[in-house]
Amino acid sequence: MVIQEGMSIQRKLEILSDAAKFDVACTSSGVDRKGNGSGIGNSLACGICHTFSADGRCISLLKILFTNECIFDCKYCINRSSNDVVRASFTPREVCELTMEFYRRNYIEGLFLSSGIMVSPNHTMELIFDALRMLRDEYHFNGYIHCKAIPGTDPVLVEAIGWYTDRMSVNLELPTASSLKRLAPHKSRKNILKPMRQIQLRRESNNEYLGIYDGRRHVSNQITMTNDKSSEITNDNRNSDRDLLLRVNNTTNIVPYNKAPIGKSRYVPAGQSTQMIIGATDESDYHIMSVSETLYDNFDLKRVFYSAFVNVNDDSNLPSTVSGPPLLREHRLYQADWLLRFYGFKIAELLNEKNPNFNVLLDPKCDWALRHLDEFPVEVNKADYYTLLRVPGIGVNSARRITTARKSAILDFKDLKAMGIVLKRAVYFITCNGRMMYPIKLDEDFITRELLAVKDRLPFGIEKDITYKQLSLFDDVSFQPDDRLMLQEISHA
Amino acid sequence: MNNLKIFLCDNSIDGIFTAIYQAWSSGYGHSNIKIEEQCEKNSYSNIELFSEYIIVETNFDQAVKVSNSIKTKISLEAYEMTCRVALSDYQGKGDLIYRFLILGFHIGKNIVSHLSNEVVNRVFKLNRYVSGEAHHLLGFIRFSEQENKILTSIIHPKNNVLSLVTPHFADRLPNERFVIFDGNRNVCSLHLPEKSWIIIEIPSMNLNDYDILIDDEYESLWKTFFDNIAIKERINPKLQRNNLPIRFRKDMTEFIPERINSLI
Repeated sequence: MVIQEGMSIQRKLEILSDAAKFDVACTSSGVDRKGNGSGIGNSLACGICHTFSADGRCISLLKILFTNECIFDCKYCINRSSNDVVRASFTPREVCELTMEFYRRNYIEGLFLSSGIMVSPNHTMELIFDALRMLRDEYHFNGYIHCKAIPGTDPVLVEAIGWYTDRMSVNLELPTASSLKRLAPHKSRKNILKPMRQIQLRRESNNEYLGIYDGRRHVSNQITMTNDKSSEITNDNRNSDRDLLLRVNNTTNIVPYNKAPIGKSRYVPAGQSTQMIIGATDESDYHIMSVSETLYDNFDLKRVFYSAFVNVNDDSNLPSTVSGPPLLREHRLYQADWLLRFYGFKIAELLNEKNPNFNVLLDPKCDWALRHLDEFPVEVNKADYYTLLRVPGIGVNSARRITTARKSAILDFKDLKAMGIVLKRAVYFITCNGRMMYPIKLDEDFITRELLAVKDRLPFGIEKDITYKQLSLFDDVSFQPDDRLMLQEISHA
Repeated sequence: MNNLKIFLCDNSIDGIFTAIYQAWSSGYGHSNIKIEEQCEKNSYSNIELFSEYIIVETNFDQAVKVSNSIKTKISLEAYEMTCRVALSDYQGKGDLIYRFLILGFHIGKNIVSHLSNEVVNRVFKLNRYVSGEAHHLLGFIRFSEQENKILTSIIHPKNNVLSLVTPHFADRLPNERFVIFDGNRNVCSLHLPEKSWIIIEIPSMNLNDYDILIDDEYESLWKTFFDNIAIKERINPKLQRNNLPIRFRKDMTEFIPERINSLI
């Protein structure tokens, strides 16, 4: 391990931002907070993107590791203890100075602090706590803070840090406990879910105390298990959760709090998120999405992020990503994630044991609609909001616009067009005043062919990597060896 | 045949509202009236034949009367929408607002839901366009620290969004002195601690000359961060360009090449 003394702040930033780049959740959303008139900073619930890096991803927060010195040896991580990379650590003051000066110049919306594990989880989290407390109390920073909780940290520290952050996240890393055991031998599923549950319960009690209802259903005491895939997450004992919370409440009196009376402050107001690495292990999409659904339903998570695996260590035990990370798969998972969170879908509607992976060629909603043609066509002037949302090509904005506009007029296709509603896909599934736009036969093969001809709105850059259209419609003349690899990777189960 | 009466007004919210007030009270009839604002490039559009031009002097009392009527007779939402449309770079926005208000005063607060109406639809789209640019700039504005710790920013927005973005920064940075220059319009907004922010016109200054700014040591730290946070395996200029249009980049620290050291 290389440890350099007296490293410049520029060099540290170079190392510790590079080391943090695989953390996905660079969002600053979820909390509205006005400036306090003194100090510095405010926060907008919608979040603000400050710039976009060369990979096209949003930069909203100063995303850094506190240190990349790490005692853990997770196979997928560039900072694993067995790697010979340059190591560096910030001091709490350096983190504060960087955050404040970047924030003043409007480079960032706040701080996203993650870390390697130096000495022990507790030692690292104490340093992070020092940094956050300094930032809030000494520098009077009132902007957004997202902090990682390291599995295995003492609940007392998790409790204390939660009062200083807007969002906390514990990385689930991999969808199953067995994969985790294999690739991250120092982490355990139990240690990951424990702080997650603690933060959830603390948030609930804090919200209850303040009389805030933040829109999510509360955890039901009856654990509903829709499928056995999620059982390993929901299985833990509720009683031990309550005990844990009690213990935390009783012991944290010794932790010095924010000067503001606790009665007014909020615990992790923007909620928690997590992330999973996609494509490093052989779980199916169904398995991954079932885990996400459980996390949303039973752990009240705000977001689950999916990170296409990049084999940074060229580890021969892990899948190769020479032909590029599995971006299309990641994209499909995000699409399905949206369907869960905003469209009222259940994962069991989209995938099942027999059909465990998303269609490479069609987005999950189109795929669903084609298998449920009996529910279509839908009458635009009458269908309720959630029925409209199930129409391919109609999103949250379009559905809202339709339900608003039809109050004052009977809508026709030209009105939909004028309102900016994209009909390319929707046209096969809707009627206006009982008429379809063209005489269309509701035939699965026909519509599938038509939908495949409509260019799937993939994020830029993915489409050039796979020649999926040719694959679907024609013979394999244009089937390149690279595509074959890529497709295997996408659809491997 | 009646001649078209064209009300020529200043390109500002107050100017357009004054014209609307005068057009409304003129009694010429809505179909014989057109409102034309002095467009952004500081010239009137082509003069139409067989039309009568009426020059409107901006009158704040009349403008306030129009604002109040919109707020009370239509809705606050409609008022905010018309204001944003008035700040847009759309030519003919004055007349569009006039048509929108005719409908609005007739229909009331539900006017904003009449999306299938052509006029309302255009207002809706322009409102979204202006709010969109303002929201982008909340993130894309870059301050550079100058002498006496004054934070300075230059932007070149398509729409006149200074009055939409400044309140955000005044709330966020209450103890800072900051200036945001709009290089396309030669106006700037200015904020001093414990004072409310103001917008000032500065017609003589050439804001497109970046040499007026001195170097800020944090700029290279920010560039370091920006370069290292990208995942090399996922480089994707198209996606980056889609999310962050090129036109914003000339004012953004991380996209401006290092300034050549002026000490030769």
